[in-house]
Amino acid sequence: MTNDFEVEFIEPGERSARFLVRGVSPAVANGIRRAMVADVPTFSIDTVRFVENSSVMFDEMIGLRLGLVPLSTPIGDFEEGDVVTLALDVEGPATAYSGDLESADAMVQPADENIPIIELKDGQHLEFEADAVLDSGKSHAKHQGGVSVGYRHLQRVEVAGDAGEFEEQEPNILRGVIEEAAAEHADADADATDGDLVATDAFDNDLTNRYPGKEVEVHDVPDAFVFHVETDGSFSVEELVLRAAETLGDRAAELESKVAI
Amino acid sequence: MMIPVRCFTCGNVIGEHWDEFKRRAREGDEDPGKVLDELGVERHCCRRMMVSHKDLVDVVAPYQ
Repeated sequence: MTNDFEVEFIEPGERSARFLVRGVSPAVANGIRRAMVADVPTFSIDTVRFVENSSVMFDEMIGLRLGLVPLSTPIGDFEEGDVVTLALDVEGPATAYSGDLESADAMVQPADENIPIIELKDGQHLEFEADAVLDSGKSHAKHQGGVSVGYRHLQRVEVAGDAGEFEEQEPNILRGVIEEAAAEHADADADATDGDLVATDAFDNDLTNRYPGKEVEVHDVPDAFVFHVETDGSFSVEELVLRAAETLGDRAAELESKVAI
Repeated sequence: MMIPVRCFTCGNVIGEHWDEFKRRAREGDEDPGKVLDELGVERHCCRRMMVSHKDLVDVVAPYQ
C-alpha cells in the first residue's frame, strides 16, 4: 500500500482537535486510534517517597492522585523507562496544588497547575519526593496521552426529493461531519458549496434545520474518517498523532525484519 | 474527599477547574451549567464529576 493519506483539519486546537483523513482503510484508522491510546508514552509519577504526610489522606491515596496529574512530555529527548524526579513541600494551612511540584528537569512539568492534591489544615505538613517514569498506556492508563480518541465515517448528505407538503417533519438527527452534496438546498447557509465540510453542530445536529422540507439520504464516504482527538495536556494533538503514526511504522518495520529470515 | 483529578469515565483532567467552579457556582450564584460551558467541561460524564462533588476534608479533619 503506497497511497498517500490526505489530512485536513476541521477544528484545530492545542488539546482538542478534529481532522479528516482520506484514503485510509478502516483497519489503519483503528490502528492509529489504538496507537494514540496505548503506544504513545507519557511521563507519570510512579513511585513516591514520603518524608512527612500528616494530612487527612493516606500516602497511597495521595500517590494515586499524583499519578493522574499529567506531565509535559517533550518529543525525542527521552526513552521509555527514563526517570525524572519531582518534589513537593507544602505546610498548612494551605492547599497543595500540582503547580507546587518542583521538577528536576525543566522540560517535564505539570501540564495543569491548579489541580488540588490535598487541602492541609493548620499544622499539617506534606513533603515527598516522587519519580516520574516514561511509559506507554499499555502498562497503565495513567500513561495514556490521548483522552477520548475516536473516529467516525465522513458522511455525505444528498437530497432525494421533497418531503410531503403537509406532513409534519420529524427531526433527522445526525452527528459528526458531513460533506456538502446539495448546496443549493442548504437554506440555512447561504454560501454553501458542494464539497464543504460542515460539522453537524453548525445546524444543531438536525438535518431538517439545514434542508427544510427535503427528503435526504445519508451515505458514508468510503475510506474517509473524521478523527476527534483530545490529549491530557502532555503534548499537543498534532504531536500525539505524529508519534502514534511513528510507533505504528516502527512496529511494522519490526515485523518485517522478524519475518524476513 | 478532594475533587478527583480526572473524570472517572473519560479520563479528562477536571481537577484543574474545580477551584473556579466552586468559587463561581457553589459560593457564588452563577448558573453551574453556564460556568461549566465556559470552563470547557463539555461531556456530561465530566460535568457530573463537578456537579455531584462534596468536599469532605473539613468533616474528617477533627478526627485526625
